[in-house]
Amino acid sequence: MRRLPIAALAAALLFVLVWYVSVRQAALFAIGIAMGAALAGARFGFTTGWRNLVVARDPRGVVGQALLLALAALGSMPLLGQFPELNAALAPPSVSLVVGAFLFGLTMQIADGCGSGTLYKAGMGVPLNMGILPLFALGSFLGSVHLDRWLVLGVIEPVSLVDHFGVAGALAATFAGLAVAVALALAWSGAEGRASWFDRRWLWGAVALAALAVLNLVVAGQPWGVVYGFGLWAAKLATAAGVFDPAANMFWNQPGNAEILRQSVLLDVTSITNIGILAGALWVAAGAPSTGRPLTAVQWLIGLAAGFVMGYSSRLAFGCNVGAMVSGISTGSLHGWLWVPLAFAGTLIGLRVRRRFGFDAA
Amino acid sequence: MRRTVYLKLAFWGALALFLAWDHARAPRIDLRFEAPLIAAGSGQTSIAGHCALPK
Repeated sequence: MRRLPIAALAAALLFVLVWYVSVRQAALFAIGIAMGAALAGARFGFTTGWRNLVVARDPRGVVGQALLLALAALGSMPLLGQFPELNAALAPPSVSLVVGAFLFGLTMQIADGCGSGTLYKAGMGVPLNMGILPLFALGSFLGSVHLDRWLVLGVIEPVSLVDHFGVAGALAATFAGLAVAVALALAWSGAEGRASWFDRRWLWGAVALAALAVLNLVVAGQPWGVVYGFGLWAAKLATAAGVFDPAANMFWNQPGNAEILRQSVLLDVTSITNIGILAGALWVAAGAPSTGRPLTAVQWLIGLAAGFVMGYSSRLAFGCNVGAMVSGISTGSLHGWLWVPLAFAGTLIGLRVRRRFGFDAA
Repeated sequence: MRRTVYLKLAFWGALALFLAWDHARAPRIDLRFEAPLIAAGSGQTSIAGHCALPK
């Protein structure tokens, strides 16, 4: 497939959005395309970065992710302090966060992609990720439906580092936390890993994604997210099919969510950037044949089940690597800092499951 | 290889169908209430639509 027809289609959708929806949504679609191109072009995989650190003692991916978080925080936190209409990705530390982050970290290794990873790999035409996407959406929807039952198990108020320590204090705390994470990763990597901790591909991916994440915050008024859009798509289908009554559900009867559910999906911020990411990744992948061995039937089943659990758990954890980790940490939410070690613990188990079912050979 | 091509067609076809279906059933977008291009400095706060929202 050539890139020109894809670019023409994307330009046509951009025009439709400008003309029939809003200039803001068109701008967010363009930001999403750039995110997809950056994710796919740099192969900026959060899942792969963690796996490389654990399995191969290769710290380059984690260093790249830390750089992304630092740069995004450097751009986002002063803006949050300056403009009261901008929202941070604040979510409450809760039992659901503990369970959700652990399960997400576990299943993302089996599915070989987190929220953004599933999106960009689906856009690039990786078969398992294309198959996972609808199940991820279904899981995300069911997670939102059950969220009230999880929240009664235990929850405290969201904690904002910017509100508690001010912009400078929150930035200092964030940089210190990231420095500790990088130091731990380098210590685990050993002398050989430390000798090759830097990689240009991860560097340019981090810089591009950080700039786009900050731009997303400025334009949309909220940080970059992925999971909400997936759940919304499934919620629309379930509501239309008559199998779900949003008015009877705690999550979907909230005025904001009910309005988003009712109106066109093209007006939803997260959906429009998700579609942009798919398009950007498709553009990057055009002309490049997909590689990799075909999966067995068992691997397909395990992978699809992991995708479903990933969607469900990401809703419990108030986001995936993007919504909870990147946006949570870069906008000063404590839940982002809790999410990382819990998801990493899940990843350690997920890597064993991955090896058990032979995914590493695929 | 051919199966992957069919899967890609099904994937993008399903997405296009979903968008078309949603466009047909959703209320018409009223451009008079279009959000400002840039949220920062607009005075308008978004009320929902992020993964971090607990409800």
